[in-house]
Amino acid sequence: MAISETSKPTLATGCRWSDNAQTPGREEEPMLLFPEGAIKVEGTGLAILALCDGQRTFPEILEELQRQYFGADPERIRDDASKFLEELHEKRIVDY
Amino acid sequence: MLSNPLALIAEITHRCPLHCVYCSNPLELAAAASELQTAHWQRVFREAAEMGILHVHLTGGEPLARKDLEELTATAREAKLYTNLITSGMALSQDRLKKLVDAGLDHIQLSFQDGEAGSADWIAGTKSHAHKIELAAWIREHRIAFTANLVVHRQNLDHLEKTLTFLETLRPDRIEIAHTQYYGWALKNRAALLPTAVQLENALRVVAAAEARLKGRIRIDSVVPDYYAQYPKACMGGWGRRMILIDPTGRALPCHAAGVIPGMAFENVREHSLRSIWTDSPAFHKFRGEDWMQEPCRTCDRRTEDFGGCRCQAFLLTSDAAATDPVCSLAPKHSVVLELLHQVLADVVVPSTISASKLADSWKYRPNPTRA
Repeated sequence: MAISETSKPTLATGCRWSDNAQTPGREEEPMLLFPEGAIKVEGTGLAILALCDGQRTFPEILEELQRQYFGADPERIRDDASKFLEELHEKRIVDY
Repeated sequence: MLSNPLALIAEITHRCPLHCVYCSNPLELAAAASELQTAHWQRVFREAAEMGILHVHLTGGEPLARKDLEELTATAREAKLYTNLITSGMALSQDRLKKLVDAGLDHIQLSFQDGEAGSADWIAGTKSHAHKIELAAWIREHRIAFTANLVVHRQNLDHLEKTLTFLETLRPDRIEIAHTQYYGWALKNRAALLPTAVQLENALRVVAAAEARLKGRIRIDSVVPDYYAQYPKACMGGWGRRMILIDPTGRALPCHAAGVIPGMAFENVREHSLRSIWTDSPAFHKFRGEDWMQEPCRTCDRRTEDFGGCRCQAFLLTSDAAATDPVCSLAPKHSVVLELLHQVLADVVVPSTISASKLADSWKYRPNPTRA
């Protein structure tokens, strides 16, 4: 499902962040956990998901990303973020 | 370097109110009195989390048969494990479900045997279908992930489309369509369970259509049956590579069926830590890496993808646990599998769904383990 201007993305039910604080050597490695597995999220992906709190709308998330990635092409940010979130939506990891 | 396992399969009991003909439990079921105690499991969960394991799959038998399931769930979650309950849902009340959710359960995987009660109850060997429907509605009242699991085979594949429509009404996040794998009780019942090629083709079409229809609403996970595949499955993501299974008595196994391979000694978590088993157990080393491989696996480009397939299946079908999994089209013993499929083909002249009375002789329901 295509993400829209009014979408408020959030982690889907049953998906959550791992807490690796106690695991030696893996403290800085946030893992996104879901029923059939886990993925390591890094860089831009992590920045996008950190903003998906179910409160912010998609345009608000883009605005915030633009602030974080100052100077980046806004079209490119929109393309990357929508592709990333739509893919996770299809996998039932993100809801909006 | 040896990496950490990612998932712990906690087979906490072999007791089960269902008698499914395809049950993956071993033919020799662990008696209730031989089961690990609560404190053992709690220690195992804490050790698992410390090793970097992310998921614990609470399974059985029927995990609900253990009165301490709420306590075990709470410990697993406190240890920061992603906690998954694999259940038939039998006798799970609204109240106990709430207790499990409150204890921190992340995900519930509820099994279905078919889309309608008559057939489903026949396959399960007990009346269970109606309660599952009631339970599915209760599950949706909570904020946990819900997967409906359906094991498919020759006796229920012909109405897969109808079954999927039924499962959709339960509003799960996921539907898992698992083709029967032939170990334990399923191997015993293989003649009645192995689907025909026509059934399989039809099923693939039905699943593809459902995937397209439900996209973004319900995720469909479908596992293709390996007897019909060109290459073997990467069983357990490789022997001793991703997963560790603890059976009800505390034995640590690389997979559900490893106990069938002769000459193997499995350490018990009563005497050893999870970490020492993972790093030092000869059983876990046995088929880890590539040194054990024979040709054609040894020089095959696919060896880092499928790890030569399943060791237990290699043993069960060729009597050599180090052989290439015979489902592989490149396997020297592939003819064993072709022969089995040929037999199914020959059976197609008779209706593919055999009547219950005709099956009575060959259909072996899985019993309950003894108490002592």
